[in-house]
Amino acid sequence: MDRRLLLKQAAALAGFALQPLKAMSSPLISPNPRILVVFELSGGNDGLNTIVPYKNDEYYKLRPTIALPKSKLLEIDDEWGMNPGFAGMKQIWDRGDLAIIHGCGYERPSYSHFTSMAYWHTAAPNSGDPYGWCGRTADALAPHGPENYIININSSQSLAVQSKYHTPIVFDDPSEFRKIIRSEQLSAIPDIKKNNAQKNASLDFLHDIEKSAKASSLRVRKAWENYDSAVDYGALSSQLDKVAACIAAGFPTQIYYVAFRNNAFDTHVHQVNLHQRLLTYAADAVRGFLADMERLGMADNVSLMMFSEFGRRAGENANLGTDHGSANNMFLAGKSVKGGHYGKAPNLLDLDDTDNLKFTTDFRRVYATAIEGWLESKKAEHILKGKFQSFPIFT
Amino acid sequence: MPRLKYSFLDLRAKTSANLCKACLGALIIFLGAINQGIALERLAAEDWDTRNATHLLERTGFGATPEDIKNLSQLSLEDAVNLVVDGPKIRTKNFNSFVHSGVFDIGLDPFPPSRPATTNLAEKTGEALGIKVRPDGNRPLQPIVDKFFYWLRASRLETDRVTQWWGQRMLVSDYPLQEKMALFWHGHFATNEDKVRDYRKMLQQLELFHAEGLGDFRTLMIAVSQNPAMLMFLDAGVNIKSAPNENFAREIVEIFTMGVGHYTEHDVREAARTFTGWNFKGLSFEVNASEHDNGNKTFLGHSGNLNGVDVIDIILQQKVTSEFIAGKIYRFLASQELTNELKEELGIALKSKNYQLKPFLKDILSSQQFYSDKVVATRIKSPVELVVSTYRKLGLENLPGAPDFNYTTGRLGQRLMHPPTVAGWSYGKSWITPSLIIQRSNFIHAVLFPDIAFIPWDRYPDGDTNYNILSVHKKIKEGLTITDATKTNVDYGEAALSNQPDRNEEFNTRFGSYRGWQMAIERVKPIERDLPEVNLTDMVLNSGALNTKETVTYLVDRFLSVPLDLSTQKSLSDFLEKEIGTQQISQVAGSLEYPLRLVLHLILSLPEYQLG
Repeated sequence: MDRRLLLKQAAALAGFALQPLKAMSSPLISPNPRILVVFELSGGNDGLNTIVPYKNDEYYKLRPTIALPKSKLLEIDDEWGMNPGFAGMKQIWDRGDLAIIHGCGYERPSYSHFTSMAYWHTAAPNSGDPYGWCGRTADALAPHGPENYIININSSQSLAVQSKYHTPIVFDDPSEFRKIIRSEQLSAIPDIKKNNAQKNASLDFLHDIEKSAKASSLRVRKAWENYDSAVDYGALSSQLDKVAACIAAGFPTQIYYVAFRNNAFDTHVHQVNLHQRLLTYAADAVRGFLADMERLGMADNVSLMMFSEFGRRAGENANLGTDHGSANNMFLAGKSVKGGHYGKAPNLLDLDDTDNLKFTTDFRRVYATAIEGWLESKKAEHILKGKFQSFPIFT
Repeated sequence: MPRLKYSFLDLRAKTSANLCKACLGALIIFLGAINQGIALERLAAEDWDTRNATHLLERTGFGATPEDIKNLSQLSLEDAVNLVVDGPKIRTKNFNSFVHSGVFDIGLDPFPPSRPATTNLAEKTGEALGIKVRPDGNRPLQPIVDKFFYWLRASRLETDRVTQWWGQRMLVSDYPLQEKMALFWHGHFATNEDKVRDYRKMLQQLELFHAEGLGDFRTLMIAVSQNPAMLMFLDAGVNIKSAPNENFAREIVEIFTMGVGHYTEHDVREAARTFTGWNFKGLSFEVNASEHDNGNKTFLGHSGNLNGVDVIDIILQQKVTSEFIAGKIYRFLASQELTNELKEELGIALKSKNYQLKPFLKDILSSQQFYSDKVVATRIKSPVELVVSTYRKLGLENLPGAPDFNYTTGRLGQRLMHPPTVAGWSYGKSWITPSLIIQRSNFIHAVLFPDIAFIPWDRYPDGDTNYNILSVHKKIKEGLTITDATKTNVDYGEAALSNQPDRNEEFNTRFGSYRGWQMAIERVKPIERDLPEVNLTDMVLNSGALNTKETVTYLVDRFLSVPLDLSTQKSLSDFLEKEIGTQQISQVAGSLEYPLRLVLHLILSLPEYQLG
């Protein structure tokens, strides 16, 4: 905060009038400024202990030590209660801005983090598709640009945003997104040569990235320097504050992708306290982000999707934790979202032969909902390589 | 291989039955002979030259100086490959073993899985981490909580010293392939200190990779599956007869040996049973016989009272296992581009060598494919490779302490002992994003133009990420009570739960975290913060370069693996001339260093420099 304040003061001293962010950014906003933010909870979030069926005796039988008693839950109706860590999401639910989609998964589930995450990223199980579903969405919606259409805030790029026509901007610390050059070197910086006589594909790739870095780094840095928000994102913003900074700066970006780091939700052992804390971080960040959108006057333009590569085993394991599972809930949040329950919760009495929940909703239906209902594209079938029925969440 | 099989079938169809019998035996021998040769065709002896010697050193180590290249190119191909793979007969560099700071004591083993588990244990038994609960008074559990946080911090800092020591080995080793393969196996059998929470186990695992990384894969695989760091990392310690934990078995089949799609969920569950009771005590492997499941198990079609070693042997018999391992090694050393045909052939080669890695590596490193244009200078250096090879090419003998090795490689995406997931690092394009390509350039800047504001980030908490610790520190010094000093004075508004101070009067976690930090930096030896000893003036003058043009050519050749177009070289030498005021560099030897650094920074900031 101090740093940003200093920068602002420096800018003011230098004679730049600090205009309200909205006014400054509005000319840059594209005609269809609907923005989708995807928030990945990596590691396999335990959906059963996130949205808890507290009326269901079977839940307590499956999880004799780690089940959450009703007294601890944040009740949202007479069937479901939220994990106490989900207090931030509860506020969104209470405003009617949160859709919970139950039982999301796919046929013959993989219990491998990497394989399952790749399925979710490509939206094409077992296909080995080289492009991600966000990347293909960008390719279908805007095959000819604009530049900076996809932003992935992370230390490495996600497969989900891999695109045929777009080079996603990928960064995690805006202040380090700057090439240090000494003044005397400026005249001598070599041009990026595209005449690659040796047909070295790796070199072509590096040249493309270098070009993108040059084009985007200054804009991102300026956006972050100018961003000044009093909104509280909790202990870990999970980069959603940086998404807000880019939105505030009027980036033409329609798809933002952020992730919770390091497989954090992989709670095999002693999970109850840890899981609650992780959910607190995630929920506080989402609540803060939506409040920030409200502050920026962008609440009608932004929706957020939250998912995990799988849920966890219905029954607890011997180590006060849970092993990799299958069906899980997904979330869509935002002012344009019609809050409530969607899809059908898996039956806890009807597990599959690996003691896992049977999925009831193909996860691509939720992607289709975002593509058709939110981004208003008719190309969902093409993008998702199949017909998946949308939910009436954005009507 | 498939191509040959088809031609064999075609031939048989066209041949009459009686001829066929006579021919068949000879044909099989003939095909077998082709098979030996076709997997990897040997590079012709006369094609062994400087370019190929440079490539061999680049890929099997961490870059090379012109002297290294000259020495190797003067050997024959066979002698060069033998030297690289077997190491020199007489080692000229003797490494000191890692010098421990002495942060461990016996009370820390076993280390409970969490702070609540530690305090619960103390409440139940009156003791934890080797410290007895105080009989009375305020915060009777505080010393135990302090020690819990002390070890988290101390083990992490000591792990940073282990990786600093490893980086030094990479930099100066006369047997770099040993370090390179240790790096490969560290990414393959990835464990993370964040979860293992014991630098001793991390060091022990690294020693295993140094000792067995070029030996026999079966020995290595068994040793890894009995390695305390790995057992800890994959929760094997809690894999017991009554409740098998699948994490360990799943990663063995999926990530370590076969890859997804070659086993069923049932195989994973059965394999988990064979590993039940496998555990560790301190730094030793132990089988807890009473927790081992001695029942009948069926794994990949084999049944019996199988144990973990049996399962590994069954895995090693699978065709897909040798292909998976051979293919991954090829992608690491040669190229990410790997056809299914070549992968199959590499698998056959590895299996035919009984999983002996040295002869297998010699096949790859002597092959035409390895030196083809599709392979040479197409590999994106990993962050650790970038950092160490930059130092090596600069001729450094000491791994600098500033810029910090762990911080730098971590920011670039490859912090040793902290791989992102159990699958290790994805090599290749994943190392590069717009932001990371900029940070790679900034690393070069930090090497050539030392940061006079450098602060050892590991010992002195910075205000951004360690706000709480610094604030407690300040308030305690101001005379506040522990309760007041650890109260948060920031209004966190509605985002509440994660920010509530721990109000349990038995102990205070915020104070423990602060006190633990103090105790850790008292005991962990500091990393020496010496700067890179760069001397470009001597390097260039000793090269024989006389003018600015030759200087740029020399620097480009020494540091880049791909040629740089002449117009760029020209603009760089014009720039150098402008900076030093003449073309003749010997005239200005005394003032050459800074301009040379400006030029080298520009060269090493090129996308071209990312390739090796």
